[in-house]
Amino acid sequence: MTNDELFATLQGRFPKLEKATVQVKDYLTVRIAAASELLALASFLKSSSFDMLDMLTATDHLGPVSMQGFIRQMNFNPFLPDGATPQIESGATTGYPYRPAMDLLWSFISIAEKARVIVRLEISRDATAVPSLVGLFKSADWQERETFDLFGIRYEGHPNLTKILTPDFLQGHPLRKDYAHIKDRFDE
Amino acid sequence: MSNAELVPAEASTTQGVRTDQLFINLGPQHPSTHGVLRIGLTIEGEIIVKAVPDIGYLHRGTEKLAEVRNYHHCVVLTDRWDYVSAMPNNLVFCLAAEKLMGVKATPRADALRVMMCELNRIASHLLFFGTYGIDLGAYTPFLYAFREREMVLDLFEMLCGARLTYNYIRLGGVMVDAPADWLGRVKEFLEYFKPRLDEYDTLLTYNPIFMARTQAVGIVSAEEAVNWALSGPNLRGSGVNFDVRKHDPYCGYENYDFEVPLGKTGSCWDRYFCRVSEMRQSVRIVEQVLAKLPDGPFMATGVAKIPKPAPGESYAHVEASRGDLGIYLASDGGISPFRMHVHAPSFINLAMLQEKLVGMKVSDVIALLGSIDIVLGEVDR
Repeated sequence: MTNDELFATLQGRFPKLEKATVQVKDYLTVRIAAASELLALASFLKSSSFDMLDMLTATDHLGPVSMQGFIRQMNFNPFLPDGATPQIESGATTGYPYRPAMDLLWSFISIAEKARVIVRLEISRDATAVPSLVGLFKSADWQERETFDLFGIRYEGHPNLTKILTPDFLQGHPLRKDYAHIKDRFDE
Repeated sequence: MSNAELVPAEASTTQGVRTDQLFINLGPQHPSTHGVLRIGLTIEGEIIVKAVPDIGYLHRGTEKLAEVRNYHHCVVLTDRWDYVSAMPNNLVFCLAAEKLMGVKATPRADALRVMMCELNRIASHLLFFGTYGIDLGAYTPFLYAFREREMVLDLFEMLCGARLTYNYIRLGGVMVDAPADWLGRVKEFLEYFKPRLDEYDTLLTYNPIFMARTQAVGIVSAEEAVNWALSGPNLRGSGVNFDVRKHDPYCGYENYDFEVPLGKTGSCWDRYFCRVSEMRQSVRIVEQVLAKLPDGPFMATGVAKIPKPAPGESYAHVEASRGDLGIYLASDGGISPFRMHVHAPSFINLAMLQEKLVGMKVSDVIALLGSIDIVLGEVDR
């Protein structure tokens, strides 16, 4: 099944569904308008051979992370002395639509059709709550906990939405672009 | 029969005597957990009533680290996820970044990449074979497995100088070309290794004690396996034919002739047997690569020193030793990935533990945990 055929099938069932403007290369990427449409789309996908929820994650679109504070030697050129002006620094790119939004991603696989659908949903950075898919796909369990831990996104209906990777004392959600590390007893 | 059915409804009573619940910690410092995994087990007698896996002891935040490094530097980070088989990790990042940059690796680089990944799969499965024997009380196979694994690591060391964290597969190609005498050594190794596979079967695979301890334990049905999104030998052990090398071929895997070993019942033994059979297929693939290794450059042209791919998103996945390893990369046009997400097979495979362990005996925990074959570097990233 080609990506276009797949999209036509999905759009026949969900007319409001649209292709994402930025496609994940080689795979069909669709965008849903609101969080309320997620469960219907997911259960339709599950019943139509896309029965594996492969991946689930998010992207914070606030802006790039500054290298300052993360890397001691920011200069990629090792022959320059310490403290020399970096030749290239990371920074905001002109023309990229940075915005205060969380872009969520779900990726479904059909083993029979050898196909993959990536579903995206953009929500506000402040009101970050979406329905949980644990009821349909058990693989969502730990991955939703991971996304909650690293991004602070609340999956409503998850039976055990607790931290999974970062230690209990860590404040904040590290993969949010505005995350600031508070020094703790493990810092030098 | 699922594990829940094996346990009588009144699991807590043995001949009418009620036992107290006991909480025990398995790990994080325990040789059978293969790293720093902690499982909080609540047991009644010998039966587990609750299992809470606790991970994150090895969390280094590589997804965050990638956001402040350039693309070439990120390849170094990838080595540290699954440090037992680092070649597929290098490869998957390079594939995702190459998709973003619009670079295509040369045919010789592709063939070398395939060869390295398959040799690394052999090394990784040998480690599994050896340690799984130890987990279940058979010490001898470990010594045999490590003898051969050492040879693969020596081959890698000869080629790229590292035994575990190779950083060999680079954006656009590979680090160095494989010299002719090194290829000869690979051939010698394969000739030495092939009869050893039969030896392993006599040592462990068809050992009656080993089979008794694994064949009726930790059974995962095909539906469950798909629902948990397991991948690699864990999924194929349940009889689901899903292999990224066949399903979504990369690096020219469609040109090689190999089979995908499948299990029947989804027991620990099936998962084990899938891995042992995969080693034979890996040997076949490496032989084919050696037979038709194309000439030409080992590095594509047009890879910048500090790449700045155009804004976009890409996803690449490979069949790593532990399953479907994927990388989601997003670029904002800057020198660092705007977002990198690792679809880590060990992390996803491990999630089924909390449900599967309930109703099992304590002595079977290690049999199930070992058969999932996790590497904690990849679970925690």
